[in-house]
Amino acid sequence: MRSSSYPLMPVRGLRTVVVLALAVGFATAVPAAQAQPGGNKATPASPTGPAAVAAKPYMGWTSWSMQSSKYPGLNPDGDYSYLTEANVLKQTDAMAAKLKKYGYEYVNIDAGWWRDYAWTPEFDEYGRQKADPVRFPSGMKSVADHIHSKGLKAGIYLPVGLEKEAYGGGKVPIWNAEGCTTADIVHDDLRTTNGWDSAYKIDFSNPCAQKYIDSQARLFADWGYDFLKLDGVGPGSFKSGDNYDNVADVAAWQKAIAATGRPIHLELSWSLDIGHAADWKKHSNGWRIDTDVECYCNTLVSWENSVDDRWSDAPAWTRHAGPGGWNDLDSLDVGNGEMDGLTKAERQSYATLWAIAKSPLYTGDDLTRLDSYGLSLLTNREVIAVNQGGNAPAQPVTPSDPQQVWAAKNSDGTYTVALFNLADKPASVTADWSTLGFTGKAAVRDLWNHESLGSHQDRITEALPAHGSRLFTVTPRGDALTWTGIEAESSANTLSGNASVADCPACSDGHKVGNLYTGGKLTLNNVLVDKAGTYQIKVAYISGDARSVAVSVGGGGATSHAFPSTGDWSTVSSVHVPVALKAGSNTITFDSGSGYAPDIDRIDVPKSS
Amino acid sequence: MNPRPTHDGSDPSREPGRAPGSDPSRRTALSLAATAGLTAALGALPAFTASAAPRRPADTPPLTGTAHDQLWWQAPGDEGSLIEQGLPVGNGRLGALASNDPGRELLLITDATMWTGGLNDILDADGQFPYGRGDFGSFTLLARLTVDIPDHDLSGVNGYRRTLDLAQGLVTSSYVRSGVTYRRQVFASHPDDAIVLHFTQSGGGHYTGTLTLGGTHGEKPSNAESFGASFPGGLRYGAAVTAYGSGGRVRVNGTRIDFSGCADLTVVVSGGTNYVPDAERAYRDPSLDPEKLARTKVRAAARHSADTLRRTHIADYRGRYEKFTLSLGTSTDAQRSLDTWERLTARARDGVPDPELEAAYLQYSRYLMISGSRDSLPLNLQGLWLDGNDPDWMGDYHTDINIQMNYWMADRAGLSSCFDAFADYCLAQLPSWTEVTHDRFNDPRNRYRNSTGKVGGWAVAFSTNIHGGSGWWWHPAGNAWLSNSLYEHYEYTRSRAYLAKIYPLLKGACEFWEARLITTTLPGTSKEVLIDDSDWSPEHGPQDAKGNTYSQELVWALFGNFAAAAAELKKDTGYAEAITSLREKLYLPEVSPKSGWLQEWMSPDNLGETTHRHLSPLIGLFPGDRIRPDGSTPKEIVDGATALLTARGMNSFGWANAWRALCWARLKNADKAYQLIANNLRPSIDGSNGTAFNLFDIYEVEKGRGIFQIDANFGTPAAISEMLLYSRPGHLELLPALPDAWAAAGSVTGLAARGGFVVDLRWKRGVPTSVRIHSVGGHTTTVAHGGTSRTIRLAPGESRTLKGLAR
Repeated sequence: MRSSSYPLMPVRGLRTVVVLALAVGFATAVPAAQAQPGGNKATPASPTGPAAVAAKPYMGWTSWSMQSSKYPGLNPDGDYSYLTEANVLKQTDAMAAKLKKYGYEYVNIDAGWWRDYAWTPEFDEYGRQKADPVRFPSGMKSVADHIHSKGLKAGIYLPVGLEKEAYGGGKVPIWNAEGCTTADIVHDDLRTTNGWDSAYKIDFSNPCAQKYIDSQARLFADWGYDFLKLDGVGPGSFKSGDNYDNVADVAAWQKAIAATGRPIHLELSWSLDIGHAADWKKHSNGWRIDTDVECYCNTLVSWENSVDDRWSDAPAWTRHAGPGGWNDLDSLDVGNGEMDGLTKAERQSYATLWAIAKSPLYTGDDLTRLDSYGLSLLTNREVIAVNQGGNAPAQPVTPSDPQQVWAAKNSDGTYTVALFNLADKPASVTADWSTLGFTGKAAVRDLWNHESLGSHQDRITEALPAHGSRLFTVTPRGDALTWTGIEAESSANTLSGNASVADCPACSDGHKVGNLYTGGKLTLNNVLVDKAGTYQIKVAYISGDARSVAVSVGGGGATSHAFPSTGDWSTVSSVHVPVALKAGSNTITFDSGSGYAPDIDRIDVPKSS
Repeated sequence: MNPRPTHDGSDPSREPGRAPGSDPSRRTALSLAATAGLTAALGALPAFTASAAPRRPADTPPLTGTAHDQLWWQAPGDEGSLIEQGLPVGNGRLGALASNDPGRELLLITDATMWTGGLNDILDADGQFPYGRGDFGSFTLLARLTVDIPDHDLSGVNGYRRTLDLAQGLVTSSYVRSGVTYRRQVFASHPDDAIVLHFTQSGGGHYTGTLTLGGTHGEKPSNAESFGASFPGGLRYGAAVTAYGSGGRVRVNGTRIDFSGCADLTVVVSGGTNYVPDAERAYRDPSLDPEKLARTKVRAAARHSADTLRRTHIADYRGRYEKFTLSLGTSTDAQRSLDTWERLTARARDGVPDPELEAAYLQYSRYLMISGSRDSLPLNLQGLWLDGNDPDWMGDYHTDINIQMNYWMADRAGLSSCFDAFADYCLAQLPSWTEVTHDRFNDPRNRYRNSTGKVGGWAVAFSTNIHGGSGWWWHPAGNAWLSNSLYEHYEYTRSRAYLAKIYPLLKGACEFWEARLITTTLPGTSKEVLIDDSDWSPEHGPQDAKGNTYSQELVWALFGNFAAAAAELKKDTGYAEAITSLREKLYLPEVSPKSGWLQEWMSPDNLGETTHRHLSPLIGLFPGDRIRPDGSTPKEIVDGATALLTARGMNSFGWANAWRALCWARLKNADKAYQLIANNLRPSIDGSNGTAFNLFDIYEVEKGRGIFQIDANFGTPAAISEMLLYSRPGHLELLPALPDAWAAAGSVTGLAARGGFVVDLRWKRGVPTSVRIHSVGGHTTTVAHGGTSRTIRLAPGESRTLKGLAR
């Protein structure tokens, strides 16, 4: 969750105001965080606890989508009141009956299990969250037991830090920690932390602090929980700065969980700072890359708020996903079109991106009311296999238009290829085999429709509805593409404006061309091809944030292409850009125009169009 | 002496552009009776009327069209994108935009006469006209038809393809679903007065779904097969649908029609209003029940197979389409491999000419003209096509460029018969326009009133509706521009019957100006001249200037046209002499000593925006023909016009670019004319200026908001034709502004010339290699190219092939 109000605001109307304010603030908050040149090396994710945890993106259900919605009837006792024992058990039973056999496993209780309907928290004598007796009359262990009885796993939730209401004047004893009280585990100035400033920041220089985390972990382990979502974690959750740096909290949780001996999946939320990706990978099993997918409106989600942000935000994170820790794109609310607030096409695209990005697949829908199309989306075994299989997550290969192609090369030589039309109207989308690295024929399998589409020469084009998608497995039957590489820093090129050559350890030949801003230009002077045609040139680039560059050939008209963020200023990614070349020598210009363009490492031109 | 047996126009005495016996409308006793009394005055009865069984050709002769007569795409439209992605169909009166979405075919159906509003003759406090959807009125949707086929959701079909066959007037979409190829055709038949949708398949598939016809104005559905209602302004309207198939079941289910397991399915829809173009009857036929008539029409059509309906339509359509062919050169295989939208995108991105696409753009405008301008009202700001009830500027008739531009290519590109809708409209409005002018123009609150205190003839405002009414501000010179446009049609066709028909419009406009012109003495001289009273050079600069170039040029041309018409018809000799003497006293514009531009106002100063969209002060260059770069016009004036045109710039939008292109063509600047055409061919992205997916021209009024205005779809092709041929009575110039992009080789047939000729022309390396001149009424003309000129004499109906015009 993102936006429930932890500060003492029992009046429902006021909560709404806070929700809106936070949603508005997002637009400016995140780019600032992502603009930091990060120094993280790409390191394999290190699983916490036993290897079984998060070996694959987890699958399941979360309570938050329905809690956060204004959909009629969902929250009869006030905001977020959907969360009750009865509802959790009902969803557990529905999941066991309908989805378990497809791999759905976790039933995750989100925020509020320790708060009454007025959102007042309750704690035990050790300052630990205690189940609200109205919401969970049988207690949290009983719920976990029921979930386990269905062969499923149970998830629970906490905000990061010591909740203010648990402080108790500093006198509350810490369980199993002789002499420790709440005063010992926070800073003297009671500085606050987390995405809502609802907790005091924990000072882990005092050993009592770890004891407090241990005591909470112990409780969850005793109750039998298998999953913990730690929310409001920073840097992230729209916060930055020392007070909101919760890396130590996350590390403490990892340690505490390990000490319990129970495998508990640790998931972090929300909009985690990519500059700390290495920390999240080191200490957790997954991290929300973005704000809430929920719209806090009359449906569960909406396309613009904020499903569609993921296409631009996911690429920077792709390389950080792997066994033990995954990029969490948030709930997958595609099960009931009317309640989700999405068209069929939007639901399919939503599920497609989550599957190929290898995001955890957990739905927030009412599992007792899945419509037939929603059930088909959530239970398509070919699509689930893409998500749960051993292949890498997909990356955009032609991201510069609303008509995008994303792809991943699979270990068996096939490609997972998704076509997306992010425009508000139908469009054709073409996947050129040359952007995948081969030419000639390929066999195409349509995963959503369970249909083999036969052999396609050089490309496949399909008509997609507004916000629509297709998902294919492409098996090459042709030849590998050969390329002519041109380094951006080559002395044969012309730099103008501020453009300059810079060192770049991650780049091919160790250099790149940067400072492409406000008029800075890079012109490749001698791009040779044998035959005239439209070529998908591969552009290797670095860009710590999403940027655009205008590409033109031979001094002709320029086309602006948007490049996704590579996550930091030391990581190279590549995308493909179509250019029309004449036979013989051509010039290709990358012009920053009036804005800021990515740094360019290298261009590869296919030897055939 | 080569007779042209296939060419229309061998008989100069008959009505222009009507092949005898080929006009299938107005055949019944009912319509003949209704028409008989009006034909002399109106010439046509553009109304929703009963029609007899059409002529049905036994077979369709093979096509002569070339590949560039077909546009194609790889995506459908949807409910929200129809104005950019819907494909237009129309039978001249009844039109639709079709989505061609496999899972949901959507047709937004229009009728040229479907308008809210009324006479609108109560002036506002400023002496001008109200301009709202209730009073002035608006062109608006007639009906909405959906055909839902749930199993054919777009996300589950493959190889989607969609074509618009310009040569046959057919929209076809096809796709593969689970190994079955499904095909769907949509066309609007003039002979059957209906829109037909034909769903077929090969491979053992079937269609199961639901179709719904409904209104878009809150009409309560009462049954599945038809609806009817009326507007507060009194207009009644209605529509009807029927469906039939084979191999399955089609049945009415409440307010929808269900079909299941059909191997094929035919849907026929028709509709209309009780509008009649007759001021005497207040533009309504109270006895006509449009819903009932629509039911009759769809039942009559449904007695025939879809194949028969299509064959009937194609034969009718091709009769018009094939009067003109065009090749501007050969495109590359790579260009040909792209769909139409990709081609527009690549053309703009790469800056490489695509001559077949450019020729197809012109043929598309001819498709729009045939589909949107036959036996009903003329094409309005949106042509015949809407995606909602409330089009910008009411989808009305704008009289200060837009309706005129809509018809600039009709004669030039072999569609003279489509021009009639424009002339017939003006004639049908004339009694009302005259009365409102008489009663209201000199209202003391009207800042444009005649200071002479006299009023005569007729005038209109900037906007006109279909109810005899005007909207927005008075536009004194609008009558002259309309009259000159109508007269130009005579120059192309030389039909005396037509000239007699429009003569009252010309004369009434002269009477208006005779009462309006005021005398002034030019400063520093004793020369007395006649000038326009307080007026507004359209949409630009001071709103109370006298003697604006726009009005002076238009009135100068009007008086000349009237005198020629009176002489030709041997009428009003004395009055014509009086008008001619007024003409000689008309002030004509000068060149500003400050700017070097031809003056827009009687002032050396620039009183407006340098790059303003309107070219009103250049109206004597185009569409007027007073300023000629051939030595007959003082060099100073040509230079001043050139300087002004240069200052207006090259980067405007649709119609403004098209008008600029035509002016540059007149100045024989091929590069600039071509660049402006290329500017209009730029793909419109997110509402930007340019050409939409469906080739409709889009005008970006604000960032991200583009409006379809059809005028550039006709003005841009008019520029193409003007670059190939300049004509005035007695003189033709071949390839006056041929750009390098088209120079290598090309050909055109059916290109009409003022003076009553039709030209067939081939060229290579920029010079004519073969020219044939055919007379549709003209007798003598010079034919020039470069420094070479020949004079030929032909009798009407005769043709001659010329050789040796190459330099």
